[in-house]
Amino acid sequence: MPKRLLQKTMKARVFCNNFKSGGGHLYGLESINASNGWAISIVGISIVFSGLVSLSLVISQLYKVLALYEDPSKITAFFKSKKSKKVDEKEGEKIITIVLTRSQKETVKQFALLARTLDDHFSLPRLLHLAQISGIKDPYPSLNILLKMRIVESDENGFFMWKNEVSDRAVR
Amino acid sequence: MDALFLDFYHNTGFYLWDYRYIIMIIVGMVFIYLGIAKDYEPLLLVPIGFGMLIGNIPIFKGLGLGIYENNSVLHYLYFGVTQGIYPPLIFLGIGAMTDFSTLLARPVLMLLGAAAQMGVFLTFLGALALGFEGNEAAAIGIIGGADGPTAIFLTAKLAPHLIGPIAVAAYSYMALVPVIQPPIMKLLTTRKERLIRMEEPRDVTKREKIIFPIVAFVLCCFLAPAALPLLGMLCFGNLLKEAVVTERLAVTARTSLIDIATILLGVTVGASTQGDVFLTTASVKIFVLGALSFGVATACGLLFAKIMNLFLKTKINPLIGAAGVSAVPDSARVVHMVGQREDPTNFLLMHAMAPNVSGVIGSAIAAGVLWSLMAH
Repeated sequence: MPKRLLQKTMKARVFCNNFKSGGGHLYGLESINASNGWAISIVGISIVFSGLVSLSLVISQLYKVLALYEDPSKITAFFKSKKSKKVDEKEGEKIITIVLTRSQKETVKQFALLARTLDDHFSLPRLLHLAQISGIKDPYPSLNILLKMRIVESDENGFFMWKNEVSDRAVR
Repeated sequence: MDALFLDFYHNTGFYLWDYRYIIMIIVGMVFIYLGIAKDYEPLLLVPIGFGMLIGNIPIFKGLGLGIYENNSVLHYLYFGVTQGIYPPLIFLGIGAMTDFSTLLARPVLMLLGAAAQMGVFLTFLGALALGFEGNEAAAIGIIGGADGPTAIFLTAKLAPHLIGPIAVAAYSYMALVPVIQPPIMKLLTTRKERLIRMEEPRDVTKREKIIFPIVAFVLCCFLAPAALPLLGMLCFGNLLKEAVVTERLAVTARTSLIDIATILLGVTVGASTQGDVFLTTASVKIFVLGALSFGVATACGLLFAKIMNLFLKTKINPLIGAAGVSAVPDSARVVHMVGQREDPTNFLLMHAMAPNVSGVIGSAIAAGVLWSLMAH
């Protein structure tokens, strides 16, 4: 607690006690002023706010610190240059490994055959349409898996490409 | 023979009765009725109500029966109140049953718990203006924290002679949260605001939950050391819960221990409201200030939530600001109910728990601050 505030509070109390022992009684603003009420209230609410604000700041960063603790490689990544960091992130995204079941592997192979019939850059609805008319089981979730595994990847111009290397690795 | 009967009659309640005892017995019955029939905080109102009956049976002074007589059993049980023993035990139990996940997921909501504590300090000023001394005003102000154990703890330290009225006011208003808060909520928010849907909170890891009570305790108690008995037990209880390996202790803290402390606290606080010492103008003023402090605290939380919305990208439902008063979990439940009246598919309970539990921490800090400022 600030020492000056404490001294003021003690002085205020002595004043109040003297006043009351003399038979008087303070009310309203007089009483608040005499007891140093304004200062106590402002200091009090400031301390409550600063306590909870600092706690919320610490908590808001806590999960990030824990994430670094759980995956120390992120610490080294943090110190890398921004450019390389971006590349790393992209590579990190590429290495999404989903363990496929035997039937899913079959589906990927069937999609690969369909992709061969298309241009290098094809539209996703076209691939989906072909999958549907070819009778591939669960075309939507299967295509979702292909996208997640980056077997089908956007060319960032509204079309998609089939990544043979990734596809071969997935069905191996 | 006649003299014996006459002597006995002079020691009975029928001879010693006073209208003040009768009033308090009726109040006690109302408490019991509200607890049982209306389900308003029955775990508190029933013990307090029955305590009022115990404390207001007219008795012959000197037999060691009354709570204010040094050698009475009730006096020894009341020792836990006057020395501030029961409130930390209750906080231990509260800690062992509180889940801080929503708070950890959105720490910014902690500010709502802080904002609601403005009610404490505004009531403090109001009590000073009504002629109470500084330490008494501080004890009355903490009613705005809407936390019974905290109110009792601080009053025991600063103004023990006011424990009865302050405890009864605090618990009565806590029980009346479903009555007091909704009109203020509706008054200060628009329908559009009440319809705001909150963002789903992120998942919180076990490790975060374990670290939180330790960090919160160290940080808050370094800032306000006088909050140590309450916050220490609250955080310790929560650590027992989250650590899993101490599940047995956590179960004891949140069941038997908190129940025993609540029973003893409720009955003795109720018994301390003896008509001749309780029914004073000071008590009436305390009740008026208590009601105001609840209203002001609720309003401060709501308005602060609205101010936060001016700066936040993802808006929060301002109703949850009202849960910043620490009546756990009643005010969160009231927020949920008011929100559902506007949109039955909007579930605010989980979100309201964040300011609600931060209100508990906030009121404990506020109590610590007031104690250290006034005790010197």
